[in-house]
Amino acid sequence: MIKKIWPLILLLSSALILVFVTGLITAIAITNGGEKSQEEIPAPPENIQTEPSSAAKNILVLGDSIGYGVGDEPDMGIGKRYAALIDSEETIEVTNLSVSGATSADLAALVEAPENEAFIAAADLIIISIGGNDLTGIQSEDVLSLDMAFQETFNTYQKNLDATLNRIRNLNPEAQIALIGLNNPYSELDVQNSQNLLEWNYKTGLIAAAGLKTAYIPTYDQFKDHLETYLAADQFHPSSIGYQVIAEELDRVLNGID
Amino acid sequence: MLILIRNEVTKLLLKKKLILIIGLLIIFITLLSYGQQYTYEKNIDRFENFSGAGTYDWKSLATQRLNDLENRLDSPYIPDSGIASTEIEIRQLRYFIENDINPITPSAVKFSVDFVEQGISLLIPLIIVILAADLVSGEFSTGTIKVLLTRAVPRWKILLSKLIALILMTTLVVLIIGILSVLISYLFFRQWGFNEPVATGFSLIDGQLNADSVILVTRFQYSLLIYSLTWYVSIVIAAITLLISILVENTATAIGVLMAALIGGQFLQFFLSDWAIVKFFFVTNLDLTRYLTGSYQPIGGMSLNFSIITLGLWGLLSLMIGFMVFNRKDVLV
Amino acid sequence: MDTLVLNVSHISKSIKKKEIIKDISFQLRKGEVLGFLGPNGAGKSTTLRMLVGLSRPSAGTISICGHSIRDDYVKAMAHVGCIIEGPDLYDYMSGYKNLELLGSMSKHVTQAAIDQAVTLVGMENRIHDKVRIYSMGMKQRIGLAQALIHKPDLLILDEPTNGLDPQGIHEFREIVKSLAKDTGISVLISSHLISEVQLMCDRVCIINNGMIVQDGTVTDMLSTGEIVWVLNDPIKGQKILSENFNLASLLNEHNELIAAIDLKVLPQINATFITAGLELHTVYAKNKTLEDLFLSVTNQRTIQ
Repeated sequence: MIKKIWPLILLLSSALILVFVTGLITAIAITNGGEKSQEEIPAPPENIQTEPSSAAKNILVLGDSIGYGVGDEPDMGIGKRYAALIDSEETIEVTNLSVSGATSADLAALVEAPENEAFIAAADLIIISIGGNDLTGIQSEDVLSLDMAFQETFNTYQKNLDATLNRIRNLNPEAQIALIGLNNPYSELDVQNSQNLLEWNYKTGLIAAAGLKTAYIPTYDQFKDHLETYLAADQFHPSSIGYQVIAEELDRVLNGID
Repeated sequence: MLILIRNEVTKLLLKKKLILIIGLLIIFITLLSYGQQYTYEKNIDRFENFSGAGTYDWKSLATQRLNDLENRLDSPYIPDSGIASTEIEIRQLRYFIENDINPITPSAVKFSVDFVEQGISLLIPLIIVILAADLVSGEFSTGTIKVLLTRAVPRWKILLSKLIALILMTTLVVLIIGILSVLISYLFFRQWGFNEPVATGFSLIDGQLNADSVILVTRFQYSLLIYSLTWYVSIVIAAITLLISILVENTATAIGVLMAALIGGQFLQFFLSDWAIVKFFFVTNLDLTRYLTGSYQPIGGMSLNFSIITLGLWGLLSLMIGFMVFNRKDVLV
Repeated sequence: MDTLVLNVSHISKSIKKKEIIKDISFQLRKGEVLGFLGPNGAGKSTTLRMLVGLSRPSAGTISICGHSIRDDYVKAMAHVGCIIEGPDLYDYMSGYKNLELLGSMSKHVTQAAIDQAVTLVGMENRIHDKVRIYSMGMKQRIGLAQALIHKPDLLILDEPTNGLDPQGIHEFREIVKSLAKDTGISVLISSHLISEVQLMCDRVCIINNGMIVQDGTVTDMLSTGEIVWVLNDPIKGQKILSENFNLASLLNEHNELIAAIDLKVLPQINATFITAGLELHTVYAKNKTLEDLFLSVTNQRTIQ
């Protein structure tokens, strides 16, 4: 029996070894980026340089999809909604440089870019929504390593956020900065995640407290018990109502209640 | 030499190890596929109840996401570094929409890749340990080492034949893992998923995950890559197991030592970021597949190259010590 | 020297700084059956392991059929078949598969050679059963067959009858004896069983505390040169011996008279006894038992 299948085993195994060795080499090559040269990456679209307008008040929104307004009615978002709240005559110019999916590292890179300098320098209020994509990037199987990954991620986030705030302050010492806190779209599902998220928000609050004219806008408790109405159909991004809630919270924190 | 190798393969086969391993795999894979299928259905249900929308319309969500991404590409404000990864995601989404496949639907090949990705640092090494732990120590504990070593064959040839037989069988086991996980999970998912595009090729630049060199491959190609890495890990584990098997003269001890190393190594991983020496331990380098997925926390100084070289050194060193010890050893059983 | 199948010269072995084998030398000629006798722990097994390459001597050389086991391992081992402490076989295979597998490791072992070995040990009927269900005796037969399939010039058996019942011991002994007679193979058997060595071997090496304390043919070793008289009055006989022949003598526990004499004077002594009016019941030459010899040289009382 075995004598008969022996040649088969030998052939099959040897052939597989060849395949696997090839695969291994390919994997190494791919990971070292050797397969793809810089030229193959499509060139970025031409930048359309626009000058910031010289309106009475300039609001600049930076950050991720929540800054961008994903889930909201077209062309709205926190910035527009806030502008509408404080000034119904719409003399306020809102510029949105948010990039859906951006992480704190993307944001740090974005504020460094020379083409964005003018927007930052001209703004009176800079709304920043960042961190959500850093946090969702954490994947781990168990609690201990999750905790470790969380700390690691937060440290990176903090570094990037500090760099971002410094850059903004260098370009514009006067502007009011508002950091939008994270809400938890999965609130009831995972205790560990909620705890991490609260810790994240708390530490972000500390960073805000350390800066001049920098406010932290909480959203966690506001959203917690109203996920069904405050979240959009994708169960992740805020809905129009959600955005309105954030904008009103922003108004309350910055301007108080008349 | 070929005859010696055939003899060793014969022994491995007649010990029915392979049947035990196949049995274990069938149980694991069936449970996991069922679990995944169950969770998937549960998620769909929950979503439908939650949104009250009746049916779960992934297609409109995916289309919305696709449009969103396409708009983003047109936006002048996104940093250059984001473009490549956005394009990758767009191409993936297009594939799903065009082929009418829900991206979160489990497929057989996806499951098979997930299975080895999860198993590469513990389950698969353990399977290799089962296969290899008694290769030499078993001969010592039954005394058959005496009839084996009193033939007119030099000792190094005997050990080499054992090593080659082990490599052949390990390779077969990796193939069996692949075939079983694809076939069994297909029974649950009814979806092969060979052609689905997968992003891979994340590289580390200055300690940051860099997506510039990311390329799209089909899931079949991707699974070949993953299985190649799994095979490499298995071979290294086999070499280390062979060494332990030579050193301890007792199969139970050999399995114990290796389990302790594997499980202890998992704990050691928690100190990875603070304690530099831990990253030179073989167990902390087993999870090679994470370097392809890009969903990991980069740890200073650890990359695919580093891990492959570290594992390779462990394997070679084990073999060298193994051959040295085996050649000089007094057989006193 | 071409008939020297095994030449062991001045080998020593230390394990963990303790010298277990101290400067052992012996030879084995073609067709000779040598018994290696010694109490448990005397170093028999350690010596035999060094002969078959399972263990290395700390000093000294071993050559088999002229090939040094250290420098020419493969050639030397091609001439050896052995069972070291019990028949160790792969119990998940059949006896035949075991032989096939082990045979394939030597050159020129044909199917016919395996069948021949199986017939020799009388295992034709059960050869395809799994070793797991064999009795000890059957395993020992396969063990012997495995040692013989490559037609060695030297057969080394370490405690081959351990664990066998008397019937099994007898059968095994007959097989080895006929083997030595028919094929001219040299055999080295170690044992702590005196009877076994006495029944099977031409020559005996007695080993104790890692040294060879006696080496010679069985007949030479056992003769004592002593004569035993059974007399009605042994005291008087003792007197006659000392007065007439100036011989020292003693009485054993059965009141028998024992003296070491030159056999030429035996008729004269017997005549003197009868003339003196003693009744001479029996006269015989006393042969030492191997056991006596063994005990006297090993000076140990723990022999089974």
